Amino acid sequence: MRVHVYELLMAMQKSRRDFLKGTAGAAATLAASSSILSSTPSFAEDSIVSQIMKIPGAGNGSPTDADWQKVGALCLGPTKANVQPGEFNGVEFSFMGLNNQNLHNFLFRGFLTPWEAYTGAKIKWIDLAQADYNARLQQSIATGTADFDIIEMGAPFEGDMGVKDLLSDMPDWVKTQIDFDDYVDYLKPPVGTWNGKIHRVTIDSDCHTMNIRTDVFSDSDLAKQWADWKDKAGLATWGAPKTWQQLQQVTKFLKGKKVKGKEVFGFLDQPKPWGGFQFYFTGSRATAYAKYPGEKNWLFDENMKPLVNNPAWVRAIQDVVDALPSEPADQINADPGTTAFQQFLPGTGALLEWWGDIGTMARTTDTSTIGDVVDFDILPGSDDVYNFRKGQWEKLASGPNQAPNMAYLGWGIYVMKTVDSDAKRHKAAWSAAAHLGGKDLSMWTAAYPSGFQPYRKSHTNLDLWALAGYDKKYIGSYMKSQSDSYNHPNSAIEPRIPGIFQYYSIAEDELQKTFAGKQTAQQGADNVAAAWDKLTDKLGRENQVKYYRIAMGLT
Amino acid sequence: MSSGRIEAAHEEVVPGQASAGNWIFRLGSAFFVVVAALQLCGALGLISISFGNWRPTLFAFLLWGVALGVSQVLKYGDFGKQTLFVLPALLFTGAMVIFPTIFGFYIAFTDWNLNAQSGHHFNGLDNLRTLWADSYFWNALRNMVFYVATVLVQYAIAFGLALLLNTDIRARKFFRVAFLLPFMLSPVAVSWMIGKSLMENRFGPLANFARWLGWENPAFFTDPWIARTTIIAMDAWVWIPFMVILLLAGLQALPLDVKEAAKVDGASQWQTFWEITFPLMLPVSVTAIILRTIFELKLADIVINVTAGGPGGATDTISSFVYREYRDRSNVGYATMIAEVYLVLIIIFITLLLKVATRYVQKMT
Repeated sequence: MRVHVYELLMAMQKSRRDFLKGTAGAAATLAASSSILSSTPSFAEDSIVSQIMKIPGAGNGSPTDADWQKVGALCLGPTKANVQPGEFNGVEFSFMGLNNQNLHNFLFRGFLTPWEAYTGAKIKWIDLAQADYNARLQQSIATGTADFDIIEMGAPFEGDMGVKDLLSDMPDWVKTQIDFDDYVDYLKPPVGTWNGKIHRVTIDSDCHTMNIRTDVFSDSDLAKQWADWKDKAGLATWGAPKTWQQLQQVTKFLKGKKVKGKEVFGFLDQPKPWGGFQFYFTGSRATAYAKYPGEKNWLFDENMKPLVNNPAWVRAIQDVVDALPSEPADQINADPGTTAFQQFLPGTGALLEWWGDIGTMARTTDTSTIGDVVDFDILPGSDDVYNFRKGQWEKLASGPNQAPNMAYLGWGIYVMKTVDSDAKRHKAAWSAAAHLGGKDLSMWTAAYPSGFQPYRKSHTNLDLWALAGYDKKYIGSYMKSQSDSYNHPNSAIEPRIPGIFQYYSIAEDELQKTFAGKQTAQQGADNVAAAWDKLTDKLGRENQVKYYRIAMGLT
Repeated sequence: MSSGRIEAAHEEVVPGQASAGNWIFRLGSAFFVVVAALQLCGALGLISISFGNWRPTLFAFLLWGVALGVSQVLKYGDFGKQTLFVLPALLFTGAMVIFPTIFGFYIAFTDWNLNAQSGHHFNGLDNLRTLWADSYFWNALRNMVFYVATVLVQYAIAFGLALLLNTDIRARKFFRVAFLLPFMLSPVAVSWMIGKSLMENRFGPLANFARWLGWENPAFFTDPWIARTTIIAMDAWVWIPFMVILLLAGLQALPLDVKEAAKVDGASQWQTFWEITFPLMLPVSVTAIILRTIFELKLADIVINVTAGGPGGATDTISSFVYREYRDRSNVGYATMIAEVYLVLIIIFITLLLKVATRYVQKMT
């Protein structure tokens, strides 16, 4: 949960009417999701989780260091069960993490202060800005100068760390302490593991979902005009598209249309490079075409032959090229940040694929004008899916193929192998990691400003969110889109191989040229494939193939 | 004092002192060479000694610097002490500029990618060959030709503004400060305030103004030429004040009597400018153009922030390309090769530019 999101949500508690103005769609999705959202067990009134969810509580402003320490102290129970008071006296280790928005490491410090007081260990902190993180991490790995014992790290970097055998294996007692089974399924192995060994204490989750403007898709004038639209791609009556084929038609249809006198657009693409992260968005357009049910491979095959130039990917890239003329005039220069914060939230565009942040921010940021007219869904499906094994498109008997993209896979806490040689340091480091990834504490970080999103099955318990002052309908709708993606059997998981962001960055350059019309979709995709092959050779093909199989759980 | 000249008192150098100075320098040098050689052999895997990091060589270098300083004083007395004033700066430049540049050339001839498991290896001319065939490099270089060519336009605008600010206009001091304001802004701030806000297609004031002028759908970064021109306009807006400062200083230093003589001789304003002011300003103008060209060749921040090189590479620069290769792709060897080749190209270009400019100035003055 982000700080400003939280603050505005809390401010909105003053006006219950604001929350109750929520969309009919939100209520409908909540009802539809009741099976998922109510499946979690209840909690005792005096339980730790019910106590911490009231810190600081609705209307008391953003949490402070004192609150983080209070939460950390209340959540010490699992630590006390495994560690004696003062057991780590004399142990000192360093912790490297982010300082984004004064969150991440700032919270960790507060949570771990009571842990330090109880165990006797001391922590030295290394704070990094997001922009410095990748370069610092890669340099540390490459030059063998890792000066940290614990690191906050995204799952895509597990390959970089894993192949150098820099990570400590999670002890069984940690797995029990953090209630590993409570993680949503996609965050379970192979994610968080390398070579079959678990290394990560998960503290966050990621996935792309579709954000939908309900006012556009309930507009009666548009409904009448849609009736006359020739190619409906199966969307018989006007409403939010369920497939990419429908989305393409809806985007073309909406060009030049107005809702309540204001110009409205359909889908918003993100053609501009974004340090490798733009590729996640092209990926989200492609997964329904390229991710065949039961098949783990979608970016590469098991021998790391790029699949990015197969007909499925080419179709996705062509979709962007075809849709751009129907999107806002300067869309070619829009990166993901632009589409979210300068376009969709202020009211431009009817459909946007993005991470879970948008769901809450739509109703809470100052610049948002769509708070009452937004709904959420998993990414659209496709009428047909490309079976790259057979080299042909197939229509599934079960209907459109869906494949939500679990883009980036969230943050985790990792312990470095440097602590393994000293049993006391080893236990201390893992105890600190387990404390940060504890089940009760995770519910607090999901609900309060922390920089982290829900990642456990137990986070779908709306009663717990209500304790922190949240409106159940609102959070229910948001959680439904997240849960449906997390738990989807055909979700697309990225390969956590060494240098994965190099692959993404190279693809961005070629895609940018394609979107600008300097080459065809097929030429662009072929260039990406050739560049990926070249990079694989440069990084060492034999090893990359081996690591790919490990990362994707193919061995 | 003798013959009216003040002479510093000289400290005599005792013969034994010079010998001691030689020995201290030799010992310091030997220690530095041995430590560096041991570290190098250890790093190359030729011997099993491992120091963990390169600090021992750094400390040995510092010790060698001290030994060099001491030996200078012992050998040359007062003259040696004078050398000490310059020596730290020389050693610092050697360590922080010359060594990294030479080391950079070594890196440029390796296949170093931070994600490669096998580390880095000398790969001969592979990076050069890759660069030769790299369409992104040539595209960025072509863009740089355009960006650099606009320096002449920027110079003309700057000269005009400098002439204006040099006249007796009302609120001259205010305008001098006001014209400097863009130069005080960070290019990153300019990127966001102008490129991503004022020029925003839907609500940006500049976009609205363009609409009012009749441009139906003002998109500043969609068409390649418009995007390129917009980028250079933003960059010029930041840097023209820098040229204005230089040119204004030059104008204020011009001798008034020459202009007054021209006036007495009946020269028109244009003749005064073209026959007197402009030729007299040529040395300052050349300095302004050369400096601005060097800054232009390093253009990156606005491009990275506003267009990321797009659309389709239309606004890409060599520096933003190097940034992507190094930061986003950890491609250390190749990115360094691009940077080193670009450095060589800049040195050649600026040297030629200086020669041509000097000849032109000599011819005109």
